[in-house]
This record gives sequence, C-alpha cells and structure tokens, in this order.
Amino acid sequence: MMDVKRVISKIERKYIKNNLKKEQRIDGRGLWDYRDFKITPGLIASAEGSADVLLGETRIITGLKYDVGTPFPDLPDEGVCTLMAELLPLASPLFEGGPPNNQSIELARVVDRGIRHADCVQTKKLCIKEKEAVYILFVDMYVINHSGNLIDCGGVSALTSLINAHIPEGRWTENGVEWTGKYLTGEDIVKELPLVMTYGKIDDIVFADPSLPEELVSDGRISISVTETQITSIQKSGGTTFSFDEIQMLAKKSMEIGKQLRKDLDLLQYKTKI
Amino acid sequence: MVLLIKDEYPDKLFREDGKRLDGRDKKELRPIKMEVGVLKNADGSAYIEWGNNKIFAAVYGPREVHPHHLAKPDRGVLRVFYRMATYSVFDRKRPAPGRREKEISMIISDCLEPVLFLELYPGTSFEVFIEVIDADGGTRCASTTVAALALADAGVPMRSLVTSLALGIIDGELVVDLSGIEDKAGDADLPIAITWFNDEISLLQFDGKMDLSQFDEFLTLSKEFAKEIYEMQVATLKEKYLGIQENIEKENKNREDDSK
Amino acid sequence: MNEEEEDVSSEEDEFEVEETSRELVVPGEILTDDTKNFIPGRGTLLTKDKSKIVSLMLGLKSIKKNYINVIPLKGIYTPQPGDKVIALVVDKNPVKYKCDINSKDFAQLKPRNTIKRERSRMGRGRGGPQDDTERFDIGDLIIAKILSADRLNKPELTTVGRYLGKKNGGIVISIDPPKIPRVIGRAGSMIKMLKNLTKCNIFVTQNGRIWIRGENIENERLLIKAIAKIEREAHTTGLTDRIQAFIENEKVKGGIN
Repeated sequence: MMDVKRVISKIERKYIKNNLKKEQRIDGRGLWDYRDFKITPGLIASAEGSADVLLGETRIITGLKYDVGTPFPDLPDEGVCTLMAELLPLASPLFEGGPPNNQSIELARVVDRGIRHADCVQTKKLCIKEKEAVYILFVDMYVINHSGNLIDCGGVSALTSLINAHIPEGRWTENGVEWTGKYLTGEDIVKELPLVMTYGKIDDIVFADPSLPEELVSDGRISISVTETQITSIQKSGGTTFSFDEIQMLAKKSMEIGKQLRKDLDLLQYKTKI
Repeated sequence: MVLLIKDEYPDKLFREDGKRLDGRDKKELRPIKMEVGVLKNADGSAYIEWGNNKIFAAVYGPREVHPHHLAKPDRGVLRVFYRMATYSVFDRKRPAPGRREKEISMIISDCLEPVLFLELYPGTSFEVFIEVIDADGGTRCASTTVAALALADAGVPMRSLVTSLALGIIDGELVVDLSGIEDKAGDADLPIAITWFNDEISLLQFDGKMDLSQFDEFLTLSKEFAKEIYEMQVATLKEKYLGIQENIEKENKNREDDSK
Repeated sequence: MNEEEEDVSSEEDEFEVEETSRELVVPGEILTDDTKNFIPGRGTLLTKDKSKIVSLMLGLKSIKKNYINVIPLKGIYTPQPGDKVIALVVDKNPVKYKCDINSKDFAQLKPRNTIKRERSRMGRGRGGPQDDTERFDIGDLIIAKILSADRLNKPELTTVGRYLGKKNGGIVISIDPPKIPRVIGRAGSMIKMLKNLTKCNIFVTQNGRIWIRGENIENERLLIKAIAKIEREAHTTGLTDRIQAFIENEKVKGGIN
C-alpha cells in the first residue's frame, strides 16, 4: 500500500514518527509485537534441508546443501557451517542483483554469528574422520520478498533449514568416505535454538520487528541474538546512538521475547522424519 | 562437490510395465500448478510448480533503464535474468551466474520479445527476473511459461501469451515433458515454445539424434500439449479474479440465507 | 486548501458502466470476429488479416456503442494532460525538479510552473520572478497536474491551480492506477461514502496515489483497509454497498466512531 521508492517522502517519515511517539504503528501492532511467522519446511526436493519462512510479508527461502572436505588445520575434528544471503531483485525494486553488497553481507553475517556463538550446530558431529574428512554445510538464504526486517526472518529461516536437515551419513573407509545408508538429521546436528531480535530506532523511540516503511525511516537499528539463557551476538548499525539504559532494556526484552517466540514457533517440529 | 549419494543414471528409463520411471505414460505431463500476483513489490509476478521444478518470475516495467547506456532511443529493451539458487540442484551450484544461465536468459528473452510491443516504449526497459529454487528438468521451459504469466499479471500489453515445454527421446521413444533424470540420461532433448497470436515457434532447441518422422511427430505433439498448458495459464490469470467474485457471491448468498 | 470541496462527480467509473461485462479476458483472447460491426477500442488490437479483434491485456471486456474495449486491471500509470497526480520530488537542480509519478518516465516540474496564485497577483517588482514560486525539497509530496505528455518527451507538471501544491501532513498510499475510478465511484458516490464514514480527508489522483488524513490513526487504518478491499474487488459488482457494509462492520468491531 505504501509506495516504496528510494526516496522516502517527508510526510511518510513524519507520519510514522508521530504515530510511534504515541506508541501506534500503521499495522496496529504494539511497539514490541512481532508480525506473524508462517513456516513451511522441507519444500526443496534438491536440498538436504530447507525452510520457507514468512515474517509478515517478508519471505526468505533457505536451502541446506553439504559437501565433504578436509577440515581446517586448527580444528581437525570439526565440520564447518557457512551462511550466505542473496537479495533477489524479485523481492524489491530496491535490490539490484549482482555480486553481494553490504546489505546481503550484513544479513548473512549477523544471522551467522547468532547461530555460531550459540554453539547451535554441533560441528564435532559433522566430523567423519579426524584430520581427513568433515562435512561442510552451506546454508543459503534467498530473499523472495522484502517487507522489512530481513535479519529476523533470515534467522528463523536458516535455523529451520538446519533443523530440517537430512544429510547422508558418511563413514570413513580405506576407499574414502562411503554412505552408511542412514541420515544425519536436525536432531543430530542442532543443539541450541538461537533467535535474533531486531529493533529500529527513530528519534528516541525504539520498537521491535520494523516493517519496511519503518525500516526505511529508522535512524538506526540493533540486532540481538539470544538462546534460552544467554546473549550470543549483538550488532548495532545505522548512524544513531543508543543509550546505556536502552541497551540494557533491549537485552532484557530480547530474552523475554526470545523465550516466548521460541515457545510459540516450536521449531523442532520441523525436523525431517526419516 | 563430494557427494555421498551418487547421481546415478539408470540403464533403463522405462519400467517393466511400460511406464516411465515416475509412473507416467509417454504422452503425459507432470503435475503443474501455477499462481499469479505472489510477489507484491514487483509490477507483475507468478510462481510455477512443474513436477519438482519450483520457479518464481517477477516483472518490473516499463521503467527507466539502468544502466543508462543500455537504453535504446527508438524502442524499449527487454532484459531477462534467469538464475538458479545454489540449492536448486543436487550438486550445489555456485552462487554467481554461470554461462548456462546467461545463455538461457538470452533464449528466454528472444522467446518473449515477439509478443511485446517494445517499439511503443522507447528509452525504457522491461526486466524479467526468474529464480529457480528447485530444478528437475525443463527449467527453461517452465521459466518461459511462468515469465509470460508474470508479464500478463503486470498488465503489460502483449500480442498473446507464450507457452513452452520440452519433449525428448528416451530409450529411442518420443516422450512429452522430460524430467530431470530423463533429460540427463535420455537420447534427445527438445525444448520448444509457441506464441499464440500467430501460432508460431519462438523457442526451439535440440540436442541429440532424431529421424525425420520423429521430428514431424514431435512438432504435432508439442502443439497439442502446449495448448493444454496454455489453457492452464489462462485459467490461472482469470482464477485470481474469478475466485474473488465467487467468494463474494457465496458471502451474499450466506447473508441472504441467514436473514431468511 | 480545503480538499473536501473538490468536485469529482464528473469523473466516470468505467467499471460501473452498464456496457462493461464481467467477462475477464487475457492477452491475445479473441473478443469478436465480427470486424464489420465492431471497432477496436482501448486495450484491443485488430489482427493483421483484419479478421478478429483481440485483447492486449488482462482485463474486463467492455462494449460501448460499437467500440470493443478492454479495461485493464493492472498496469503502471500513463500520463494524460489534465490529470491530477501525486508526485514525489526525487531530485532537483536550479532549472527543474525531477519527480516520481509512478509511470515509466520521471516527470519534470519547472519553477515557472510553481507560481503561487496569491503571490503572483502582487505583480513583478517585488524581488525577482523566483519570489512568486513555491519551493520544494527532495522528499516532498506534491499534488500536481500534467501539463503535457507525449511519446518523446518527459511529462511536464504544474502546481499552479486550485488544490495543487505540497502536502504537509497525512499519508499517501498506492493502488493499481486502473482501479482509481472505483475509489471515486459513479458520480463520486464511493469517495463521498468513504469520507463520511471514516471522517477522513481524501484526495484521489490518477496515478494510483491517494492522500488521506483522518482525525486519528484508527480511522486512517480503517480507510486504508477499505481501499485495499476496493482494490482487490474492483472487478466485481455492488462494490459501493459492500464497502459501506464492511466499514460499518469494522467500526462496530473496533469501537471506532
């Protein structure tokens, strides 16, 4: 409904700001309310795990692929999990396509760090033979529709695709790595369930899960990843400052919202049943 | 990539009972599902599931050409970007577009151009973005078919729709709508597209070996099955609006019944 | 500027016109092969062999006298001289403003076409000619009129005239331009009803953009919902009554006045 162009109109900025001051948002949400998530797991036949996630109208389809390779010399008994993000021109006239730009790199890195520092993926379980063969997992997020807050949508999409994993299990033999006939699933691979929460800031008002118009008029943004008990990653971006009180408040809010979301989403239901 | 389950090509592409490996007859299409208006930020959009293929198409245009030097003073430009997601294929594809994707982009562009009125839009561009998120044989055909839907959804003036499918020869027999494994292990692959305003061919490729009588049969069959797919495209475009109309009629009837 | 006074009663709602059938047609669909008695109108084409009239796009078939037309349901805006549009200033330099009008081209607004009526009556001599103009910044949303538009040149805008100029408050939403007549309705019936029931100021323009300002955000939200419903059901009959019922229902549900 609201026309999204590169230049944001002044009255749009004013409208969103004035209403936020009264704790009102265009879609009727409260300052800390999330839009609805809608999750469809395992839709990609060619992938070894996948998830189609909608957060409001923002949509990210993530696919999981694997490779078998040699481990890093300093981590000889651990597999590797790498994340990538593509902002498809399909998703918005604001995306130009082409090689990764700052926005797609930021999306991939913020989601990656939230997952990595939560020790979410059991990289030791991804080891087939120490020093010889480990799994390399590729978690590739494709943004299909941009309606604000790619990071939180991406976080759930990436995590769900890992939970949905069904990777052929390998065994080390004298002939190299062979398939055992069984599969590694999310149950084997995923230990923690980190969720990332992103907040926008306009003047001195902070609010959760920015929609696209809110995101475009925000002065700044902060993303906080949490597990059930700990904060695992923080990223502040945009040319504004946050006060110490605000940061403390947001850390606490993130744990609360995170706990509730984790319960509501019940992501483990998206495991592949073999 | 080192894969633990090998991508093996079976010896026979027909089963004991004479059916193809996925249970189809020689002249049978895979299940096809189409939808329009799925991506709200684009001017027009469509989505198709064709067998295991899953493909999105989005259209922007007419709009200013970026970069400017590609603009033509006397007519509009059509740019097609056919891309495959890394996870859309069994052996993960590298993220950057390769030569195959660029070639297919060009073929689809040449295929769609005859139905557009580019001469009415000098200095502007139409951009068609196609993203294959799951591939299983015949992606260029499914992509062309879904791109035509997206153009129609955008309200771009067109002489007619375009419909595309691939026929092929497997184990010496002519079949309709090649699946991924039939494409890889078969003898010949024949993608074709038809523009309906003049009943002519706007995409045609062939790889393999075929004799003349098979070629005649191929041409006849392709038109017949393309027509079937065309009817689905038309129904999909109309369904978006007819569905809304039906719901309203239902609501009205319910309200009438309630007040009785 | 008093938006409520604007008279839109002369605008015709093609969708409600009797001759519009509810028949949906797709690009290339044959509308008639009786080319002796029918003339190809808007959105249609006579085939090369002159034997058929076909549709150029997805839309509703409409027959007016002996013209066969197709009313499109979607499509970007095509500027026509005289149209009122909501333009977004995206760039400026001393000789012109560059404006986004939701069309295939950007439009131009030259300073000489931004003269404020009141000021210009004061005559020259009071500073230079520039003093009479209304100045705009990047990000301003302005109501403008199309002065000229043709195939070869970028559309020209003017803000000289009643109801034209910058908007300072409210919000602008967008719908498919072909559906704008539905928001106005036959003899302005739809827009009058919307204004009365939601108590919002509404300014509808031809390029699919609608400016609204209400007493509070609940009323504005309700109006936006109603307009979204109009956009979705634009191709159906009995729309005005249905939208009215919808708004009244929502008001009761939400306790809105």
